[in-house]
Amino acid sequence: MRHWILMTLLVIFPLPLAAQMVVTSARPDAVAVSVYRDPERAGGGIDLGNLRGFALISETRTIDLPAGDAIIRFEGVADGIISVSAIVTGLPGGTVEKNRDAALLSPASLVDGTLGNRVMLRRTDRATGAVREEAATVRSSAAGAVVLQTAAGLETLRCTGLSETLVYNGVPAGLSARPTLSVMTRSPEASRATVTLTYLATGFDWAAHYVAELSDDGRSVDLLAWLTVANSNGASFADASLNALAGQVNVDSNYAALGTPPEAEPLNLSCFATQSGRFGQPAFPEPTPTAPMAIRLMLSDGDAPAGVILFSMKEYGAAAVAEMENLGDLKLYRVPMKVTVAANGQKQVALLVKENVPVQRMYQITVSPGTPDNSVTGHLLRIDNRMGKGLGEPLPSGEVAVFEQVAGERRYAGASALRDHAVGETVNLIVGESAQVRLVQGLVGEKDRVRQDWGTELTNANPYPVEVEVRFDWTPGEQADNTVLDRLPRKDGYSIWTVTVPANGTETLKYRINGR
Amino acid sequence: MAMRRWIVAITLSMGLLGPVAILAQTDPQTAQGDLSVTIYNGGVTLVQDIRQINIPVGRSRQEFPDVSAQIQPATVSFAAASTGIVEQNFDYDLLSPNALMGKAVGEMIMLIRMNPATGVETRERAKVLAVNGGVVLQIGERIEILRDDGLPVRVVFDKIPPNLRAKPTLSITLDSKAGGVRPATLSYLTSGLGWVADYVSMFDEKAGTIDVQGWVTLTNNTGTTFSDARTLLVAGSPRGVSNFGPRGNRGTVRRAGTETAAREQLGDYYLYPLAERTTIANAQQKQVSFLNVQRVPAKKAYEYSVGWLTSMSEPASAASVIRFSSSAQGGLGDALPAGTVRFYQRDARGDPQFIGESAIGHTPMGSELGLATGNAFDVKVQAVVEKRERLSPSRWRTSMKYTVTNAKDEPVTVDITQDGLDWYFTDTRIVAESQPSKRRDSNGTRWEVMVPANGETIVTATFETRF
Repeated sequence: MRHWILMTLLVIFPLPLAAQMVVTSARPDAVAVSVYRDPERAGGGIDLGNLRGFALISETRTIDLPAGDAIIRFEGVADGIISVSAIVTGLPGGTVEKNRDAALLSPASLVDGTLGNRVMLRRTDRATGAVREEAATVRSSAAGAVVLQTAAGLETLRCTGLSETLVYNGVPAGLSARPTLSVMTRSPEASRATVTLTYLATGFDWAAHYVAELSDDGRSVDLLAWLTVANSNGASFADASLNALAGQVNVDSNYAALGTPPEAEPLNLSCFATQSGRFGQPAFPEPTPTAPMAIRLMLSDGDAPAGVILFSMKEYGAAAVAEMENLGDLKLYRVPMKVTVAANGQKQVALLVKENVPVQRMYQITVSPGTPDNSVTGHLLRIDNRMGKGLGEPLPSGEVAVFEQVAGERRYAGASALRDHAVGETVNLIVGESAQVRLVQGLVGEKDRVRQDWGTELTNANPYPVEVEVRFDWTPGEQADNTVLDRLPRKDGYSIWTVTVPANGTETLKYRINGR
Repeated sequence: MAMRRWIVAITLSMGLLGPVAILAQTDPQTAQGDLSVTIYNGGVTLVQDIRQINIPVGRSRQEFPDVSAQIQPATVSFAAASTGIVEQNFDYDLLSPNALMGKAVGEMIMLIRMNPATGVETRERAKVLAVNGGVVLQIGERIEILRDDGLPVRVVFDKIPPNLRAKPTLSITLDSKAGGVRPATLSYLTSGLGWVADYVSMFDEKAGTIDVQGWVTLTNNTGTTFSDARTLLVAGSPRGVSNFGPRGNRGTVRRAGTETAAREQLGDYYLYPLAERTTIANAQQKQVSFLNVQRVPAKKAYEYSVGWLTSMSEPASAASVIRFSSSAQGGLGDALPAGTVRFYQRDARGDPQFIGESAIGHTPMGSELGLATGNAFDVKVQAVVEKRERLSPSRWRTSMKYTVTNAKDEPVTVDITQDGLDWYFTDTRIVAESQPSKRRDSNGTRWEVMVPANGETIVTATFETRF
């Protein structure tokens, strides 16, 4: 009779079991990765040790769905998944709810999950190696670890000086090895569905690395740009469609925090004093720390930025160059073949190849009243990025390394960070500084208390004439009148004095400031 | 249903009431009853737990396991028929080896010594004299310090002292006029639960529309699982609660709405009930859809705001802004709880790509929104001070030049705002400008600058100010 009732109860209450129907999707069939740069970085390269960009990852997965309620667990996603951004499409029954479960299996959660339940207390005799097991009941939570009830009475774990440990009968329900994304769906019928899982993930970044080869006459450059993508996730993305997006996207939420799930609490065993005056902290294996991030570095060349391949265009036959398309107000660079974005790895693909781009080389210095004497000038490389002027391409931000030919040898001339440049802008690159061309500025005479005579002198120690652009941080009319500076041409908010300084010579601009 | 009642009748007759009562609750792992949780944005949650409790006549002490580990014990209220409360206790003295030994002072314990060479066990009773630094024991006439010789000793305690518990425990002492099982309502506030909204917005630039899905994201860091709970989300933060939810950027709401959404309200707050009962597991982040609208008109715009006396040596990108409405007419047609709106746009192959996100605060229905998605690669602004003239000791004339460039193959309109025109003075004048501006307020003025495809437009203006 009793047996019959039990059967009936099982027939009536099977629903909670059916609701637990779990389908695990182990890996994607196809994956697309779109990498976004660190939104805070205006120019320069990536920091392989701390990738602050992110990626939009789109995975296609095939899932066999049962009829009715089912929970689909997604495995093999990026570690840095921002679960709140996850979108699941292609489910015939739609999404009832999405969950990210982060109750992790750990020494502490085993104690908590077994509270009040039976475990085996295993003691090993160090002298004889004899193993004895006895049943015990966990009486304390992991916060007060660990008090056990044994046949003898109440005992504590590892306060005895014996080799002892707990052996559990099973894993408590609801604990998983790593944070898990799942969706609950309600399918009208059993079917095989192609589902797309799209999410943002941290631990990616990319930048452009430009290699500029100056021609022998210094009037043009051959430009080769690399798209450098890095992934610090533990997950590799094999045969992925890879895109890189240029332009600054707005990010208001804290991706670093959202992409880092709560960690499992460690189990700290505590004891009463086990020797005179000393409180015992018995050793317990801590969770293994994650292996230090192994980053594969690429070749580096001299003083050039590390991690960047610096082949010249002649050495590199650009077999595949990323294709650019406009995406709203961003630029999307599509890698034309399937590639593998490896875990903890960096990848480079050609982004731009352009020969014989006209370039202007000169010296530049920005001057304010406090500029110290004998200030060095900067080596300026100026490229007009207007359509029809030789380049005319959008230039995503990154680093530029410049090489020149000196006495038939390839020399590294310097590097500069580059911000995003649209077509039509002027690219000004300060790639180094010159100790040969300097500026001296100062008071040369005082007419009276308000009228002062100043001089700005440029010196050139080179055996050839140089062109210098002096930018005066001067707003006409603001503090004083200056008949010379007020009449200089204005550009970018500065008054500009452009002058050619003769070989081993000097050039001076004199002006009088009429204060009020 | 009739069948079920019949089974209950049989089991009752067989004295199996206990198991049935457990089965009636979905999860036999928990002592929770019929749960309702009301989660506020600000991180405070009202939990109502109706448990079936057998309360005897007279005084009795009831323990309530499986309440939130982050319960605010002072907010507990309890109600059951024919029952009065004598006292409420929240005991948080945790059971640990140290606490056990501390409470054993003056008591007898058992020592089991093990000979490390032979493995032979010897048992002795000992009295704990003191636990100060080390444990001082009296064994017969001897006084010893526990494990001073470093040899293995098992300490066995006889019982758990009454106040020590595995978990903080709520207990209520009741005085009941009647005996028997009855529903008892326990309600309390807890921290550790919170929610925000996450919006997925697909922008179709050509059609000028957005499709928006709204998800509530609730997070449980209480340390407790809430089983099979009716869940109600309140879009609002009552005072006295720290608000860690997003508040939205300044300027996302361009005009606050005056429409009322067709949702239940609690005072000024909208309520978002979840359609089904759900289990909110510990350390879980749960998302449930609450909004799904298609083809809402949306328009892209460019904006740039220039601070007073800003002179830019390099051009800067204008902000790309998507403007839409939350109105019932031509908008999302709902009040929007605070959260993050993530925008996507399809690339040339039709794959969705992320184009940026923007935080919003609680937004009434009928509002005009302008959400910045990022900075435009191809639309740039360079503002420079061309001239500063001092007309008198308290009067300046400033000439500004704004160069707006467009590298896109279509014309764009950029809203340029000159800010900082007025601190406390109201006599700022615009002496001359190359195209008429609209005074946004006394502090700012705005030009709608048309920029041709692959071209540039220069706007100049001269201001007279006191600074």
